[in-house]
Amino acid sequence: MIAGPTREAGDPAVPDGPIDPGAVRVGVGGPSRLEGDPAITLSPAPDPATRLPQDGAASPALPLVDGVATAVSLERFGDVRARLTEPAADGSAGRVVRTDVLFGPIRIDRARGTRLREVVVDGWRIDVELESERRAILRERARRGAGTASLGGPVEIRAIIPGRVVAVSVAVGDSVEAGQQVLVVEAMKMQNELRAPREGSVERIGVAVGDTIEVGDLLIVIH
Amino acid sequence: MTPPFSRILVANRGEIALRIIRAAHELGMQAVAVYSDADATAAHVRAADAAVRLGPAAPADSYLRIDAVVAAALESGAEAVHPGYGFLSERAAFAQAVADAGLVFVGPSPTAIAALGDKLAARRTARAVGVPHVPGTLEPAPVDRPDQLEGVLAAAEAVGFPLLVKAAAGGGGRGMRRVVAADELPAALIAGSREAAAAFGDGSVYLEREIMPARHIEVQLLGDATGQVIALGERDCSTQRRHQKLIEEAPAPGLSEIERRRLHAMAVRLGVAAGLQNAATVEFLYDRDGNFWFLEVNTRLQVEHPVTELVAGLDIVAEQFRLAGGAPLSQGALAAAERAARPTSHAIEVRISAEDPARVFAPAPGRITRWAMPAGPGVRVDTAVEVGDRIPAEYDPLICKLIVHAADRPAALRRLRRALDETEIGGIQTTLPFHRAMLGEPGFRDASGLSTTWVDAHWDGPASRARAVRVAALAAGLAELGETAAGGPGGTPPRTGQDDARHASGPPSRDGSVPAWRAAGRALAADRWPR
Repeated sequence: MIAGPTREAGDPAVPDGPIDPGAVRVGVGGPSRLEGDPAITLSPAPDPATRLPQDGAASPALPLVDGVATAVSLERFGDVRARLTEPAADGSAGRVVRTDVLFGPIRIDRARGTRLREVVVDGWRIDVELESERRAILRERARRGAGTASLGGPVEIRAIIPGRVVAVSVAVGDSVEAGQQVLVVEAMKMQNELRAPREGSVERIGVAVGDTIEVGDLLIVIH
Repeated sequence: MTPPFSRILVANRGEIALRIIRAAHELGMQAVAVYSDADATAAHVRAADAAVRLGPAAPADSYLRIDAVVAAALESGAEAVHPGYGFLSERAAFAQAVADAGLVFVGPSPTAIAALGDKLAARRTARAVGVPHVPGTLEPAPVDRPDQLEGVLAAAEAVGFPLLVKAAAGGGGRGMRRVVAADELPAALIAGSREAAAAFGDGSVYLEREIMPARHIEVQLLGDATGQVIALGERDCSTQRRHQKLIEEAPAPGLSEIERRRLHAMAVRLGVAAGLQNAATVEFLYDRDGNFWFLEVNTRLQVEHPVTELVAGLDIVAEQFRLAGGAPLSQGALAAAERAARPTSHAIEVRISAEDPARVFAPAPGRITRWAMPAGPGVRVDTAVEVGDRIPAEYDPLICKLIVHAADRPAALRRLRRALDETEIGGIQTTLPFHRAMLGEPGFRDASGLSTTWVDAHWDGPASRARAVRVAALAAGLAELGETAAGGPGGTPPRTGQDDARHASGPPSRDGSVPAWRAAGRALAADRWPR
């Protein structure tokens, strides 16, 4: 429960046609990610006339969300505060929902070469992962062609909360099954059992009993 | 007015330590803080006049070390010790150690703590003075004793199923087991007793009828050395999850003046019988038929004391210091007790914790990057956390109490909504989205849904988060489109961190060529800042 697996999101279908060079793949990364978090592709509106969000003025264009023109727009009030406007969910004409969001600074996820940005909506802290659509597709194609023996290469399990390792249940070289307990970490008065996300064998163990771990620390690699 | 002491020590950390230090300073007393290595630069340490290190971060090595805390008080010249809540606040041995060292313990006497901390003794005292306790047994149940099984089963039948096996030595749901039928009872007794022994060092358990649905209503008491005990008012703390309170309010909605008088009188009667001094809280369950059932007494200051302070117009921590100094109940306190059955305002507190409401409230420690708290009329924020603080994993995840005060409950709800809208927290996940969602729930807004089982029935963390994920993705994506467009299509790499909107000078054209005005701008820039 405490570790984030490598991102193996439910990926949108890889298109065969040309990819809009301005399109952006937006998903959830970092420690806030939950299993099943979706990714979307955002493209600038085909009409270039008015496309850039300016301070205090809503962008009047219709960007494409997963290929569909959607009446969403963003107003920015400086670096941190912004307001998203989208059509009301009930589809009634002319009704919109405005939601205030807070932007954090952009960081680079060095392992994946993507950009991460914390966005706070309604008190929910989401690490949004941003990447050009073209690059995201290349990455997916490379992984798919990567071979048949292992499911997508080694899985790196990293800590998503800090704590202390109280038990290591496997050794390098051990075969593990999906769901098998591999580590126990104590954090905030609770014992958290870490389980293998899929079957494989333990390639590397990055911690020992007694170690204090921080968010992002590499715990176990399974291939 | 002479301060009751010249120097006191706060045996706690975080928001309550800061709260106590503030009260001490306002009374003209100096305050000494104690800290673990994790809290060396914490707000409560900086607010104090002196500070003493206790040890490493783990509570057992620091805040729970009776010897170290008493030594800190003696070496720093403190005359009194305030225990706050949690940690050592309800350990009779600590109160005794403080007294033995010639210092004053700011709280009830060690005997009262011991007598009321044992829930069975408290229930027997309640029965003796005619305060109805939650129906159940009054003696520890025999555990793993097949020879006494018949007696236990008979007692259980008298209580009625479903019933709860509960720990006599502590609360918070630990040692508790729900029993639906007689054949489950022996195993439940063993399991509950084992958990209670691990949590409290005492495996005594007893049987209690399950009252469901019920509201959790508690009464704030103050007592002085003359034996006088008064009730300042009651609080409703029904919005809980796994026996942890999330939202509290004062007064309890929907009670009549007669019901309040009856409730307060029962609590006072119990307090007098137990010889209660200083501050304590008597907890009751209030069932659908309008009956109050005594649950237990907490012989300490409670987390949610601010809602009573605001409605009663009193500083309870200041009153605690005065009472500990030997003064009788103050005029202000007596007047507040007179008014308690007819409250003329309403206060609501929400507990903001570093927990993830989409991961079954699992702890979510981390470092705070943004911390903007609400303000304006009727808003009070009790916190010791600041931007840049790292939330330590060793302690309770409660980091902030947001309290609002208004003329009545509807006004308080509107004020709370405003305050929550103004609250901005970045860098860690907190329970803030939970509180925002609860305010929208009709059952909470009209108080019809108040019950201790309500949260589990009404809160869907993942669903609430899913909507936020979509908005976050759209917002970040649109911002990214704006930034990459400003940098040029596929050309200049996007700038990090800065909002480019101010510098954006126009859209690139569809075929990728750069319009003349943009090229001119870049050329101009190159001239000014040649690389």
